[in-house]
Amino acid sequence: MSSGANTARIRTTIMRIANAYGFNAELLITHRALMLTLYDEDKDHFFSRLKRTSPHGANFKMVSGISRMSWRIVEEKWNLAQVQEEINRLKSVPHYNRLVILSLVALADASFCRLFGGGHIEMIVAFVATFAGLFVRQEVVKKGFNPYLCIFFASLTSSLISGLSVYLHWGANPEYAFATSVLYLIPGIPLINSMSDLLDGNIMNGIVRGVNGLIIAFSISLGLLGAILLYNI
Amino acid sequence: MELLAFFEKWIWFGAAAVGFAILFNVPQRTIWLIFLMGALGGALKVLTMTLGGSIILGSFLGAMLVGFISIGAAHFRHSPPFVFSIPAVIPMVPGAFAYRTMLGIIKLTGSVDNGIFVKTMEATVNNGLKAGFVLMALAFGVSAPMLFSRRQSAKEIKVPLKLMS
Repeated sequence: MSSGANTARIRTTIMRIANAYGFNAELLITHRALMLTLYDEDKDHFFSRLKRTSPHGANFKMVSGISRMSWRIVEEKWNLAQVQEEINRLKSVPHYNRLVILSLVALADASFCRLFGGGHIEMIVAFVATFAGLFVRQEVVKKGFNPYLCIFFASLTSSLISGLSVYLHWGANPEYAFATSVLYLIPGIPLINSMSDLLDGNIMNGIVRGVNGLIIAFSISLGLLGAILLYNI
Repeated sequence: MELLAFFEKWIWFGAAAVGFAILFNVPQRTIWLIFLMGALGGALKVLTMTLGGSIILGSFLGAMLVGFISIGAAHFRHSPPFVFSIPAVIPMVPGAFAYRTMLGIIKLTGSVDNGIFVKTMEATVNNGLKAGFVLMALAFGVSAPMLFSRRQSAKEIKVPLKLMS
């Protein structure tokens, strides 16, 4: 469930599913674990469970799929086997092709560069820097490093490449490329989710997510700092 | 602003939104809408800023537009609204301000001269506050439809948005 949904959504979705099967549910949702108690007041049945959540990674296909499934459970009265099948299907739905991800995210960063006022050369630099940085990030994530360290590596790679253009004075405003080349790492989901959790009154989760976002931002700036010190910009 | 440059910005806002959408692994059926929403939100932000509004107001209005469209889009494409709205507002995230803030802080650790220190401090605090407030405006703008309608789920909001998108 922690693939990028906010706390209120997790709660409403689980409640919806539980109510569809005629149970009441109480939930404790935290960053790393989920506590769930199901009870049926008529028959005195209880079911309690504590479950660790998997490490965070944004996967909106999963969130969207689960949400759709919860509505189908309510409206079409799915049984447990169908639900299990759907969850397995959602788990096996592949991410996008790696090359597609790399090139589109790189294009997104080039667009950022353009929006901030960069020219063609800056855009190309931002594209290459992002491509390489994201590639490094995917590789270190596979190797199982600490997630913040992964972001540091990616940020360092990107800023080293784009910093080279600042160092060699390519293009009119190479600083734009340097500033935008790490933007693909910004913790958009943690920060926006943090804000919406805080607004919903889930203060604890909001703070936790906010701190998580800040640590990510800090890792990005550490990577930038490394490049700045190396090139002495 | 020239009209051509304005429309060019649309494309870049949309492209940035799609890039992040791919990174977050959104369902394929939502991508075109995300492109459109990113472009529209960005366009409103740019429009507000050319009309003299601050970047904070512009981001807020842009994010609010994205938030409202996302409710309609959620009905249309059967996904939770935030699947659309988060990738679409990310192009408006104040990356440049945050970057300058970081750079300023790094500079502050090094400089000793009082005059330079105060000047850098001014710029840094200004940039940092702008980044923070824009971020808050974005989050508030995106969740505005849910807050106004006081509903738990977008499915319960019955607005004639189905005509759109």
